[in-house]
Order: sequence, then structure tokens, then C-alpha cells
Amino acid sequence: MKLSDIMAAAGLSGWAQAAMILFLLAFVAILVAVLAPSRRREFEAASRMPLQDDLPVSPRAPTGGQP
Amino acid sequence: MTAQLDTFRYDDAIVRKFMIATFVWGLVGMLVGLIIALQLANPMFNFDLPWLSFGRLRPLHTNAVIFAFAGNAIFTGVYYSSQRLLKTRMFSDTLSALHFWGWQLIIVAAAITLPLGFTQAKEYAELEWPIDIAIAVVWVIFAVNFFGTIARRRERHLYVAIWFYIASIITVAVLHIFNNLVIPASLFKSYPIYAGVQDAFMQWWYGHNAVAFFLTTPFLGLMYYFLPKAADRPIFSYRLSILHFWSIVFLYIWAGPHHLHYTALPEWASTLGMLFSVMLWMPSWGGMINGLLTLRGAWQKVASDPILKFFVVAITAYGMSTFEGPMLSIKSVNALAHYTDWIIAHVHTGALGWNGLLTFGMIYWLLPRVYQTRLYSQKLAEVHFWLATLGILLYVTAIYSAGLTQGLMWRAFDETGRLQFPDFVETVVRLLPMYWLRVVGGSLYLTGMVIFGYNIWKTWRTRPATYAEPEVQAPRLLPLAPEPAAATPRGGVFARFVEAAWHRTWERLPVTFTVMVTVAVLVASIFEIVPTFMIKSNVPTIASVKPYTPLELAGRDLYIREGCFNCHSQMIRPFRHETERFGEYSKPGEFIYDRPFLWGSRRIGPDLAREGGKYPDLWHVRHMEDPRAITPNSTMPAYAWLLRDPLDFASIQKRVDVLAMLGHPYGEALTRAPEMAREQAATLAAAIVAQGGPEGLADREIVALVAYLQRLGTDIRRTARAVAEAGGR
Repeated sequence: MKLSDIMAAAGLSGWAQAAMILFLLAFVAILVAVLAPSRRREFEAASRMPLQDDLPVSPRAPTGGQP
Repeated sequence: MTAQLDTFRYDDAIVRKFMIATFVWGLVGMLVGLIIALQLANPMFNFDLPWLSFGRLRPLHTNAVIFAFAGNAIFTGVYYSSQRLLKTRMFSDTLSALHFWGWQLIIVAAAITLPLGFTQAKEYAELEWPIDIAIAVVWVIFAVNFFGTIARRRERHLYVAIWFYIASIITVAVLHIFNNLVIPASLFKSYPIYAGVQDAFMQWWYGHNAVAFFLTTPFLGLMYYFLPKAADRPIFSYRLSILHFWSIVFLYIWAGPHHLHYTALPEWASTLGMLFSVMLWMPSWGGMINGLLTLRGAWQKVASDPILKFFVVAITAYGMSTFEGPMLSIKSVNALAHYTDWIIAHVHTGALGWNGLLTFGMIYWLLPRVYQTRLYSQKLAEVHFWLATLGILLYVTAIYSAGLTQGLMWRAFDETGRLQFPDFVETVVRLLPMYWLRVVGGSLYLTGMVIFGYNIWKTWRTRPATYAEPEVQAPRLLPLAPEPAAATPRGGVFARFVEAAWHRTWERLPVTFTVMVTVAVLVASIFEIVPTFMIKSNVPTIASVKPYTPLELAGRDLYIREGCFNCHSQMIRPFRHETERFGEYSKPGEFIYDRPFLWGSRRIGPDLAREGGKYPDLWHVRHMEDPRAITPNSTMPAYAWLLRDPLDFASIQKRVDVLAMLGHPYGEALTRAPEMAREQAATLAAAIVAQGGPEGLADREIVALVAYLQRLGTDIRRTARAVAEAGGR
């Protein structure tokens, strides 16, 4: 008896549906977490992160004349 | 407790290195693209040289633009943005340098080995096993450097771009390792541990997710960082970006089987792949809308800023190709589009539009910052933008029409119920004007690239004598305080859940977060792949299908070396127009000795799954020597060297041994494979002479290839009695 025979006899096809439902539940959970109104301010702060990392020097002219 | 202020410097030298590498390899990859475009328009551009022929250059083009151009672009953006988003220098300068030089070395190795014909024959996984190991090592170096940087961060929350980077790094590692499990037969030849259907499944699980986690998620990370920077405003909706992230991680990994519709893949798998692909519509368009709406109220900036122009068209191209992808995954659409140029147009919308333009926009934004000067010419950047956009438009419209033309001609029947274009070459000749238009479009894009290079060079020339390395200050991250929400329970379990402390915790704990991503990716992969491997009924075996003889095996390896699978499929789909044209449709059981599988993804030439016995041996010899002597309008390169070069009989034994180890039932070939090959070669060479062909081919490569071609698809025609008589050859 080979492993493939055992797998075929095990009747695992229902597991796919189970996985599907688990995935759906995980997605709903994330949806709730993300859309929670209490987090608005937090997300606003997070979305500003890329804009708050500038170097103290901004691009300068090669001659050094302009800031 | 007061936070301690740390002082540190960002490492921009590594960003500059990756940026230049991006440009250089981009130029090389696109130039090779132009050469192979010319080769398809006119075969004289193959120059009758082995290492310049289409079959060997096409993988070089795809690898160069994906892993060299897009790869270095990813690293440029990741190294720049991660340091700033995490408020720390990269974990280790040594690892950064090792990553950079290691990756460039791998690219050079690819650029040498692919034209020499060393290939695993799996799309975007062509590189042979020693290079694969090097890739794995360099990727681990990158991962250690990246996660080390996260561990040292001075910013609690991980910005969404970092999530995209994490998912990319983890998934690419998993994909690369599992698709490249091979047993070496020599330094540059190996056989995969998977055969036939399973190999095809693994390959397109890998191939599709290479598109997802190499060309999509990292670039989305770049978009979520560089677009707000260039537009000087935050992303339209941070919530949407989180949903975008999780949906893509959950869905993409399932979509691979849509590359194998109507093939010998079990139907449930291809339906599953289709469903998940269609679901991808939502997050992809969510992401596109998120990007475009970031510019709300700032569209006047787009008119004057070439960087924003690049970004807008890139994001639009993302939307277009992710609209088209799910559409192509629908079986009935796929039936028309598969194997045609439609797919080529689709990937070029994505690669030239999304990856290319996003990279250009990012580099134009970076140039003044990392070289600490001004961009040499805003005007030339505008010119580059218009040339690139026009080039893409010309390219894709030409190739879309080529694809549709081809698909419709293949399936056309006349009023008597016969194929309207029974001669395959008719459908090739019809495409040539479109192929020339593609050359024009590609040239425009490449011209833009040259102007880009000039602009980079002139900008670089005005850099300061020494780069300023300004100090940055940020408070050190304190140990995580207990979650305050836990102390104030109100409203019961549901309210607690909705407060989402659990998701907030994930966002702060990169390890947990990474584990969750890995679980999402692995669970999907396992549920989809394991059944094809394990459940017997999925691949019914056929008694008359036997392993290739030693000579045929050598011929098959030559077929792989010359990259024949880049133009010829070996998979007849169960449609009447296909069975009329090529013969009985392909069965899963026919491929159990195919390592690697050679189903192909494109029919620039006809399918070869039932080539065996269609033409005399001499026909094949003449055809390989000069295809146009047989088929006047053929665009196939000539392979005259196969008639000249001696066949390497000595290495056959080792190859047979490896396949025997993988379970191929080889009887006497286990001890005398080279002798058996010589015997079969002598018989075949004699037959060629008897048919009026040249003498002295018995020890040339051509006999092996002809032996293989004559075997293709013939096994199922043999009756059970013939099998018994032959003693299972």
C-alpha cells in the first residue's frame, strides 16, 4: 500500500471546505479590525509615516546657491 | 521614564549602488528584448549562432528584466524606504554589500549560462541548481539584513509598505526553494523531483506567484511609500491599503493553476485557480483606486511633474493588467488566449507599464536626493515619459491584435467543417506586420531608457565631492507597555474584539505578523498542491507509457538546451480545432516520465505533443538544418550545429542513473546506457541514409533530437500486446 492509496482512502476532500471557511472567517475578522471606528486617528497617524522621515537637508543646487 | 534620543545615519551608498544596477540591467534586459523581437519578425537576426538563437535568448530577456531590472529596483526602494520608515540604519553594512554583490554575481552567472544552454526549462526558474543555491543564500542574507533592521527599529508601528516587503521576502523564499528541488546529474544539468503534471503544477504555482510576490507586492510597497512622497500627501485610505494587503496575501497564492486551463491538470484545480483569480479583481482595483485617489486635489501637479506622470500611468497599468489577468483566467477566455501573443501583451502591460514606469518615477524622485544635487533635466524626464508611454501603447496594441488574430485563426473552420488555416505557418506569416510594429514600440521604450541613462549620468556628474551624511535623531523604542485597552473593558467580548487590539498587536510584532503571513501562504499552497501529489485518481497511469530510451533522453535534453519549449508547446487541449490540427488530446498519464515537463506556454510554432511519426526522419534533419528549405515562410532559427556537433554519449549513463533514482523503470539501461544509445543512433542514422540523407550522422547531436521528436506522443498508440512484445523498452 502506497502513501497515495492512504491519502485517497482518507477522504480529505472536506478539508478544503473547512480551510475555505477558516479563511473567510479570518478575512471577516480582519475586516472588522480594520474598519473599527476607534482606529481612525491611529490610521491617520500611520498614513503620515512616509512624510515624516525627511532628512534635515533637502535637495540642494550643485552650486550650493539655492536651498 | 523619558525616552532616550539616539543619533544615527542612513546608508544611502547602498541605495545608489542598487539604483545604478537597476538602470544598467534594465538597459541590457530591454536590449535583449529588442533582439528577440527582431528575431520573431525575421529569423535572420538569429545570426545562425547557437548562443544568439531565440530559444536561448528569450529566457535571458525574461530573467534579466524580472530578476535583474525589477529585482534591483525593489532593493533600491526597499533599502531607501525601510531605513526611513523604521528610523534606523540597515542592520549590517556588510550584509548589504554581500546582498548587492551576490545578486549582481548571480545576474552575471545567468547572463553567461543561459546563452550557453544551461537551463531547467521552467519559466523564470531556468537557472541551474548551483545558481539556485546562490540565489537562496543571497536571499537569506537579504532577509537577515531586513528583519535585523526591523528588530532595531525606532518606530513601533510597521507602515504598510513594510508589510508588503515582509510578505514578498517570505513568499519568494518558499516559492524558490520548492520549485527548484532537483537532483543534479552534472554541474549544469539536473532533473526535478516532480514529473509531468505535478511538475507543471509546481512550476505555475511558482510562476504565477513570482508575478505576485516579485512583480506585484514589493512594487505595491514601493507605491505606498514613494507615491505619498512624490505627491506630498498621505495615501488616500490607509484602511484600504491594509485590506489590499491581506486580500492579496490570501488570494494570490491560489491562482497559479489558471496557467494550465484545459491541459492535463485535474479540472478541480484549474477551477479553483480561476475562482481565486477572479476574486483578485477586488483587492487589485482597490489598490489602484487607493493609489490614484491619493492624487485627489493634486492633479494639477501631475501636469507639471514627470515623476507623478510616471506614477499615474504605472498605477493605471497595474489596474489594466490586473483587470485583464482575472479575465484571462476565466476558462472560456483562456481557451482563446492561451498559447497566443495575447499573454505576451498582457505581461508587457504589467512589466513595461507597472514595473517599468513605477521604477522610473521612483528613480527620478531618488536621483536628487541620493546624489544630493538637482535633477539634470526635467524636460528630458518628460521626453522619457512620453517615449515610454507611446512605446507601451504601440507594443501592446500590436501584440493584442497579433494574439487575437492568432487565436481566431487557429480555431477557424470553413463551411465544409475543415480547418480554415490547416497550415500552421499561415497563422505565423499573418502576424509579421504586428511583430514589426512591436519592434518600433520596443525601440521607443528603449530610446527613453537611453535618455534616462543620460539624465542619470549628467545628474551624477553634479554630485558633491563628498556626500553629506546627516545625523538623524529618533527616540529609542521602549519595551512594549501592557495594552491599555485590556485595562478598560467595556461592552463585553464583541466590543473588545472590535477594538482590535489583536490586530494592533500583530502590526507591532513583526515576528507574529510574519508567521501569520507565512501561514496564509503555506496553508493555501498545501491545500491546493498536496492533493495532486497524493490522490492517485488525479493522475491515471497509462500502461503503454514507458520511459525515454537513453538516446531519446539525450535528445530531450538537447531540446531543453536549445529552448525549443519557448516556441513549441507539448500539450494538446481537448478542443476540436486542436485535435484536428495536432492529433489526440494530451492525457495526464502520458507525462509521468517528463522531467521537467515541457508543456510550454506559447505557440510561436506548432504543438509537438504528437510529433512522433508525422514526418520521416530525414525531414527532421533537413528541417533542423534549414527550416526555410522545408517551410518557405517559417520563422524558426536554423540549427545547423546539431548536424556538426558530436553527441556526448558518455554523460548519458549519469542522466539515466539520476532518473532511475527518481523512479523511472530503466532495465538494462542502468548498466549500458551509452551503448544502447549508440545502437539506436546507428539504426536511425542508417534510416536517414536510406531515405537519401547525408552519411555520418550516427554520432551527431541531431540523431538524438530526431529520436526524441519521433517518440513524442506515440506511446498511447501502442497496443498492450506490442508493449508486451517489446518487453517495455
